[in-house]
Parts: sequence; structure tokens; C-alpha cells
Amino acid sequence: MAIYKSAIEKPVTTVLIFVAVIVIGVFSFLRLPIDQFPEMDPPYITVMTTYPGAAASEMETNVTKIMENALTSVDHLKHITSQSKDNISVVTLELEWGSNMDEAVNDVRSFVDMAANNLPDNCAKPVIFKLSTSSMPICQYSITADETYAGLDKILNDEVVPQLNHIDGIGNISLSGAPDRYVYVNIDQQKLDAYGITLEQVGQVVTANNLNLSSGTIKMPQEQYQMQVRSEYIESSEIENLMVTMTPQGQQVFIRDIATVKDTIKDLSLDEKTNGREAVRLIIAKQTGANTVQVCRDVRKELAQIQKQLPTDVKIEKIYDSSENIQNSINSLEESVLYALLFVVLVVLFFLGKWRATIIIGVTIPIALIVAFIYLGVADSSLNIISLCSLTIAIGMVVDDAIVVLENITRHVERGEDPHEAAIYATNEVWVSVIATTLVLVAVFVPLTMLSGFAGIMFHELGWIVTVVCCTSTLVAITLTPMLCSKLLKAKQVHVDEQGNLVDDEAGKRSLYERTVVRMLDKIDDVYARSLGWCLRHKTITLLILLALFGASLMPVFMGKIGTDFMQEQDNGRLSVTIKLQRGTRIEETLKTARKLEARFVALVPEIQLINTSAGSNDDATIAALFSSTMNNKIQMTIRLPKKWERDRDIWTIAEILRQEMAAYPEINEYQCAVSSGGPGGGNTVDLEIYGYDFDKTSQMAEQCRQLISQLPGARDVNISREDDRPDIKITVDKEKASRLGLSSATISTYLRNRVAGMACGYLKDDGSEYDIVVRLNEEDRNSISDVLNLSIPTAMGKTVKLSEVAEVGEYWAPPTIERKARQRIVTVKATPYNTTLGELAEAIQTQVVPQLDIPVGYSTHIGGNYETQQDTFKDMILLFALIVLLVYITMASQFESLRMPGIIMFAVPFAFSGVIMALWLTHRSLDMIGALGLVLLVGIVVKNGIVLVDYINLMRERGYELNEAIQMSGRSRLRPVLMTAFTTILGMVPMAVSSGEGAEMWQPLGIVVIGGLTVSTFLTLYIVPVLYGVMSRHGDRDKQEALRKKFIFMQLKVKDKEPKADTEKSKA
Amino acid sequence: MIVFNQANTGRVEYMLDVLGIKGFTFFEQVQGRGTNGGEPRRGTHAWPEMNSCVITVVDDDKVPALLESVQKLDMRNREVGVRAFVWNIEATV
Repeated sequence: MAIYKSAIEKPVTTVLIFVAVIVIGVFSFLRLPIDQFPEMDPPYITVMTTYPGAAASEMETNVTKIMENALTSVDHLKHITSQSKDNISVVTLELEWGSNMDEAVNDVRSFVDMAANNLPDNCAKPVIFKLSTSSMPICQYSITADETYAGLDKILNDEVVPQLNHIDGIGNISLSGAPDRYVYVNIDQQKLDAYGITLEQVGQVVTANNLNLSSGTIKMPQEQYQMQVRSEYIESSEIENLMVTMTPQGQQVFIRDIATVKDTIKDLSLDEKTNGREAVRLIIAKQTGANTVQVCRDVRKELAQIQKQLPTDVKIEKIYDSSENIQNSINSLEESVLYALLFVVLVVLFFLGKWRATIIIGVTIPIALIVAFIYLGVADSSLNIISLCSLTIAIGMVVDDAIVVLENITRHVERGEDPHEAAIYATNEVWVSVIATTLVLVAVFVPLTMLSGFAGIMFHELGWIVTVVCCTSTLVAITLTPMLCSKLLKAKQVHVDEQGNLVDDEAGKRSLYERTVVRMLDKIDDVYARSLGWCLRHKTITLLILLALFGASLMPVFMGKIGTDFMQEQDNGRLSVTIKLQRGTRIEETLKTARKLEARFVALVPEIQLINTSAGSNDDATIAALFSSTMNNKIQMTIRLPKKWERDRDIWTIAEILRQEMAAYPEINEYQCAVSSGGPGGGNTVDLEIYGYDFDKTSQMAEQCRQLISQLPGARDVNISREDDRPDIKITVDKEKASRLGLSSATISTYLRNRVAGMACGYLKDDGSEYDIVVRLNEEDRNSISDVLNLSIPTAMGKTVKLSEVAEVGEYWAPPTIERKARQRIVTVKATPYNTTLGELAEAIQTQVVPQLDIPVGYSTHIGGNYETQQDTFKDMILLFALIVLLVYITMASQFESLRMPGIIMFAVPFAFSGVIMALWLTHRSLDMIGALGLVLLVGIVVKNGIVLVDYINLMRERGYELNEAIQMSGRSRLRPVLMTAFTTILGMVPMAVSSGEGAEMWQPLGIVVIGGLTVSTFLTLYIVPVLYGVMSRHGDRDKQEALRKKFIFMQLKVKDKEPKADTEKSKA
Repeated sequence: MIVFNQANTGRVEYMLDVLGIKGFTFFEQVQGRGTNGGEPRRGTHAWPEMNSCVITVVDDDKVPALLESVQKLDMRNREVGVRAFVWNIEATV
């Protein structure tokens, strides 16, 4: 028994099966995590090698090159880049997106092991890092305090961090800019000299008086006791009263005589300020696989709890919370899905005019969507932008199958059949063609699941979801829909009057719907049929007009009005500003600039809610410090603005205002004002890569590029990746003099470190925490080159000498970090487009900047960055497009059993493109990756309209109607279904295209592309397909009859006598 | 022999029951086309509908009633279609 028949005969089973599906779907939906994008591992692996004492260029030749050569054969490798600095070499591998990272890490490890033998002897074992999502912060909070600032470190470490650690899925919690308590003993150099003591002696005194030591056991007659010397410092003031030495005159010298003891917070090296107040930044990461939204929500809750226990002046403020953006995006997309559902149901109601029929159709939508949730649950995915976009795309398409089935059943019922039987036999008539149209859609969406690279990650899920949803909708259309029709549709109301005549109860009664909408639709049908008739009589003119229209619509492309982008930047209300001052600028000076800028920014942009500024660097180098490069001359700001619907100016305008402000400061060398997009792939930049060995030459070229690019109207934030040379103070020890005094370079360097950085002399213990005690010189004794020369160094003979006697002090320029890519030295000039698109900016750089460069032999340039990724993705898309067109053609050709018909239908596709171009041009959008996806989808959606039309024309022709009559009749009869399916899809996309929610910038292009393409192609399909059909099959049918006549020639025989001769002739034929 | 659109199956069976005709032979999925009007029923793309056919052997006195009923059924909805043909049974075992 056919599936639809069983469904109709067993309504209870059918309903319950779908109820079960809904229950499982709702269950999966409730358990689905929320995320921004489908799970993806950033495909970066870093190999870090340290080689103490090697300069950058030595690092490059002895370590980096060896590692690079070994690692180039890693599978799926896309780019290999490296950085060689003094002592450290970092090789970064970028693999293809979507590669198996575990496998890759193993691969890398074996290559590293192989190469390790060739590394210099003193080299440490290379360390392999995999960059994972868990190493990226998901939210940051700033904690500010006034009076309790000094104790903030303790509060945070003892109360806040441990409580946060309880949260499920929370990863690393780090604090940036937390004030460390330090006890400094600042010694006056002159006083030291006067008393003839050394700094080390003071240090030893401080250390020696701070100990707990067991001193044996005392046995008494009955008991025995452990004896301990407990003389650790309880308070820092005790240090002041220690005696260092006695003068020959017998005068005791205490520490307070030669130094000041300060129990304070650590000297400034990293400064964190939020809105100008002292702050600590709390950086929270999640564990791999944990759900960002859930973790952030828990952190928020926990922090609200903690806030209550903290002193009143401690404030916790959010700098950013990535879950908010995700949540808002998902919410606004969910809204789009619901609106799409509503619109689709309204369109169906409008065209069918019957609420029962609308319910039957409407039911298919939630069922199909819920199955998508089951798929997401099974595939371990999440509710993310891609999956929800897919649902929006699918909504308009899921009703189509049900509509076809319902329409045929309704037709049967209106003939007076019983709904039950009508449902069975009407479904039987159409179910094969319903499945066939679904196959066309599957042919479009399944190839999406085969995409590789970055686009693969984005569209893999989309392909599956739409396929699953469409197949489900077909299944529903041939089971649940006929079943519901058999139960819900009412047979025609008739009765038999006294004379035994059949009387139609509904005849003469015309509802409001019939009087208005149906009349209007009839009129539209008439107008269309008449215009189509005209077109059929004037085929050449029609085709010429259409071709002209097509040509005209391509104009914006040739005029360069349609730019290309990788992905639209989102207005998340967050800006990151990076400012570089002159190298070597003292941190305190950097801070002055930072404060000035903060004040100006707030004045210029009153919308600013929060500015978090960090400047300087944390000197205890951690792995995190490897990735962030805050230096004493760098300022990094995160600016939080209100949500975009709460302010008038958009984020790009604000960024431009800030840029103009920064450009006015002479002390600012470089600045960058980036709109933080939540998306992967980093910033939206065009990178001009300059390859070449010689530093001076490439630096010069880079500088030239920077100047040229800065002159381009659309280029902003033009930066050179190579750091400027850093001025260092170099101390050259005169070995002969030093050795005569019994000193070596090693001892001198230790002494210098003790005097300048400080000598670590144990800890002050308080409440379970240990605080460093540091003995060092007064700041004014060590803040100039002459002060350094004047430092006293103790000699082996117990005397002191000045540093100037054994060493020379000079300034020199430390060479920059050596960056390499593809095993060549490289400098990158980055530029961000403003008021223009990525593609246009890259084009401008390529045509206007590169030719002006004087590129010597052995040097080359290349455009990279997001532009390169975009180009790769577009290439993938074009390939995909070709594949889809071919598959769709094959599906249709087998459906019509004709090679010509699919060709006719495919003619509608180019017109979809003219629609897309017009839509992009009118909305001033550029074509990005998401928009390109829309183009690919259009092929499937557009072709569907053509199929409906051509199928019906074929039907009419087979039923023996004259060509033009058949075409006109079919056009008239199929106009409504075509408009209906087109409108359901178009209106389903409208919420997506006009949505202004957070993150809407990203998917708007998809909506715009599909709406534009479908609108234009639907209207043109209605003319071009019938006219082409007319042109292509004009002689076809007459020929067919002729062919038949020729085939069966027996009919032309003349029967002459009654012999059975004719029979033999006949059998021959 | 009654040839009818599949969609009339229920009504034809009801008719036979009402008339007290017990025996019949039922052919499902038969094709056909009408001489005077009557859409072809070929189960093809152009003519997707199908007929069914019932052969029932009845007494001569029941024939007029049966034909009348078939005519009534045809009047009920002409587009769906039903036809009846009568011929003699020479012998049966």
C-alpha cells in the first residue's frame, strides 16, 4: 500500500507519529546550546622555540628556517608564518579551515621531533601550541576601586576568582593590571657610598632577619618541645629598624638612615584604567566545548552575588560580554523566523482564502522546522546564526509541496468527490512530481555540504538543514497533508430538492473573499493571459526587450557600482583602539597621552559608556603575553557604546571621528580603530605583503606603500607590521679592567640588576599571602645614563668602583622582530576599508599603489589578508555554482525526459542575477560571502517556478491543445501557484532583510539577494519561459505527428482484395 | 459491467449494497477513454486519473434499477465519471 494511502487509512498512527516527532524535536530544541557560529576550531598551530642569547637574525637562520623547512610538509598547510625575536622563534602554521586539528598537531609534533636534531645545542625543546577557542576570552569585566584599590589584588584572588571557578565550563580566569603589594627598600646611592656599604649587604640583612627556623628539640624531665626561631616580619616597618653595619666610629647604621621602606603596590608597568579610574581587568575564557552563552550567564549571576560581599567602593563593570551579542543575534533571528512563519501563513490564506486549507498547510511548517532541531541535536550542533538563517530560507519552501497536494485534493473535492477518496486519488496523481521538485532542491543544497575551507564550515550546516527540512516537508506533504485533508476538508454542500434535482447549496452565495480577492486575482490572471498572448505573437520583440533589460541590469557591475566584501562588519557597539607612540616612550608619558585621549574621546563621542585603557606591559611574561603585545609605548583601548538602536550615529562614523582625532596628535606614530566583529577570520583588512630579504629596502618600500595607501580615499588605519627599531642601552664591559678588579661580566650584570630592577629579599607574609620585598636604589639614582655610569659596584677586594670605570654605556638600536611568511622575510601593510568595500580597496591598491612601487629583483608583493580569503571563498562559490547548475540540469532533464526543457527553464537564472544586481545597487550593498550564498540558492528557487510552468504547458500539449493556446492556458492557470510560491519565499526573507537587530548586518545581504533575485526572476520567468517554449517547440509537435505517420505506415496501405496479404504487410510495419 | 473513476469506488460499493447485489468481480486500475466526452483515464502524466471496473452478474429484473442508480451517480458529479454496460451471460458454472 502506498505511503499516502496508509496515512489516510490510519489517521491515528499518522498523527501520533508526527506528535512523537514534535516531542523529540521540542526536547532537542530545549537542549540545544546557543552559539554564534557552528563549532569550528581555529586552524592555527604555533611552534615556539627558545634559544637563550641568540639575536633575532641568528634565531632566523639557526632555528626558524630549520623549523619552517621541516613544517612545510604538514598536511593541509595553507600558510606558514614566523617571527624571530631575540631569544625566541615562533612559527605559526595556518591550516585549511575544517582540518582535523588533533591529527595536525600529531603531524606537527613528529616533524618538530625530526627537526629538533638539527637545532643548535643550547636550544630548548620546541613547544607546540594549538590555538583553541578556549584560549580566547569570552567576556571581560573591569573592576574599579578607590580606597581599597591597593588591596584589590587580594580581594580578587581570595574572593572573586575562587567563586567564579565553581562555574561549570569556565576556563582560565586571568587578571590584568591587578595591583601587587610590594615592599620596596629604596636606598640612596650617596649614603651607601658614604657609609661604604653595598646594596647587597643591605639585602642580606633584610633577608637574614626574616626567617623561621627549627633549632632542635628541648627535652625537659617530663616533656619535650620543638624549638623554633620565629622572626619573620609581621609588618614592613620592622625592616626600617634593622641595623646594617657599624661605622668605624661605633655609630650604628640602620636601614632607616640610608633608605626608605615603602609598603606599597608594584611600580607601574601595566596600567589599567576604566573611565579614568584605576581598574583591574578580569578576563574570562571558557573550556573547549563549553557553551559561551551559558558560561557568560553564570558569570553574570555569580558576579552580581559577589558584588554584594565586596567593599562598597569596588565596582564591577562589563567591558564586553560576547554572549550578549550572540544572544541578541539569535533572538533577532528567532524573531525573523517567527515573522517569516506568519507571513507565509498569511500569503497562503490570501491565495487560498480558506482557513481550513491554511491550517493544513501551516501545520507543515512547524513540523519541518522541528525536524531541523532534531538534526541539530543529533549532529551535536547549536542554535547559531547559520542554522537559524537556514530555517528562514527553508520556511518559504516547505509549504510548496503541501500546497501542490492540497490544491489537487481541493480540485477533486470541488468536483463533488468525497474528501476521503479525493485525498487518496488526488495524492496519487501528484506525489511523484512533488518528490521530483524536492529532488531539484536537494540538488542545490547537498553540494553545499561538500564545500571545503572556511565556506565549508559556514555552509555545511546550511546545506544539511535545508535538505532535511525540504525532505521532511515532502514527507509531510504526502502523508499528513492528505490525511488532514481527508478529515478537515468538507465535501461540497449539496442536497436533492423535491423534483429530484441536485442543488448546489453554495451556488450563488459568494463570500467577501470571493467578491474581493478572487475577483482581483481573476483580473490579474486576465491581464497576464492577454499580455502573454501578445508576447507569444511578438516573440522576437519580447526576447529583444528582455535581453536589453538583462543587459541594462548588468550596467552597475560594469560601472563598478557593486563592490565585494568578505563578510559585513557588524555594529556590536564595541571599538578597539590601538595606539603606538614613539618607541621607547616612557610608560608614564604614554599614560599622559592616554588620559588626554580618553578625555577627548568622551567629549567627541558622548555616547561612550565605558573606556577601558591598558598601557604598558606586564613584566612577568606569561603565555598570554605572547599573544598580546602591549608595550610601554602602546595604548590599547576597548570602547563600549550603547546598542546600535540606542544611538544615532553608527559605529563606523564614530570610529572615523576617533581616527581624525588621533591623526591630530604628533606623538602618535600609528593608530588603529577597529570595529570588533564577533565573527571569525579577524578584522576586515586588505594586507599588502612585501617579500624581500633586505630590511632597509623592505622597510622603505613599506613606508612608501603606507604613504600611497593612506592617500587612497577609502583606506583607513594603514599600519606596517614591522616594529620600529627599539632604542636600548647597551653596557660593554671592559674585560681586562673588570678582571683586574676581580669582576666578571656575569657579576657585573647581577649587580646592575640588583641596583636597577631590585634585589629580591624574601617575602613579607600576611594573612597567608606572600609579598615580595625588593631592595633597590632610589629612582633618581638610576633614571639617566649618567646615573647608570655612576652606579657603585662592589669589587672582590671589598671596595667599590663606579660602573664607568669598568664598562662603557652606549645607546643602540635593537633590530626588529623578523617576520617571515612562506619562508621569506615579509613586511605587511594593512589597510581597513572605510565607506568602500574590501574588493574595491584591494583593487585600488593593486592598480594604483603597486605599479608606483619600485620593486627590485628578488622582491615581490602580494595582496593577502581577508581579501585573499574572500577570493578563495568566491572561487569555491563559483565552482559550487557550476556544480549546482549541472546537478539541477540533470535532475530536471530526467524529470522532463528532455534536454531542451531544462534549458528553457534555466534561462530564468540570469534574470535572477539582474534582480540581485539591481537590489544590491539600490540598497548600496556589496556582494559578500553570505550574498554569494544567496546567489547559489537562487538557482534552486528560481528554477522551481519554471518547472511548475513548463510542466503544465507540457501537460496541456499532451492533452492535445494548440501550442499557443496551451501556453496561454497554462500561464493563466499556473500564475497563482507561481506567485504563491514566490511570495512565500520572498516574504519569508523580508524579516531577514529588514531586521535591524544586533548582527543583522551579517545576514541582511542574503535576504536582499534572494528577494531581489526572486522578485525580478519571477516576473520575467512568467514571460521568458513561455515565449522560449513557444520558440523552441514551434515545429516540434507538427513534426511529432509527421514522425508517427512515418512510423506507422501500415495505415497508408490500400487493401486491394480479401487475401490476408494486408496482414503480412502490417506485421512487417 | 460498471466502469467508474476510482474516486467513485465508495459510492459504487454502497450502491451495490443498497440494491442487494452481493456478488461482483472488481478490477482495480483500469484505463479507458470516453467516446462522448469523458476525459481519458490513463494514469499518465497528461491524464493521471485511473478507473476501476466492477463486473457483476445480476438477475434481469435488477438491471433497470442498477442502470438507474448508475445514472443517478453520474448526475451527482458528472466530471468524476461512471458508465455501465449490460450484456448477457450465456452460461456459468
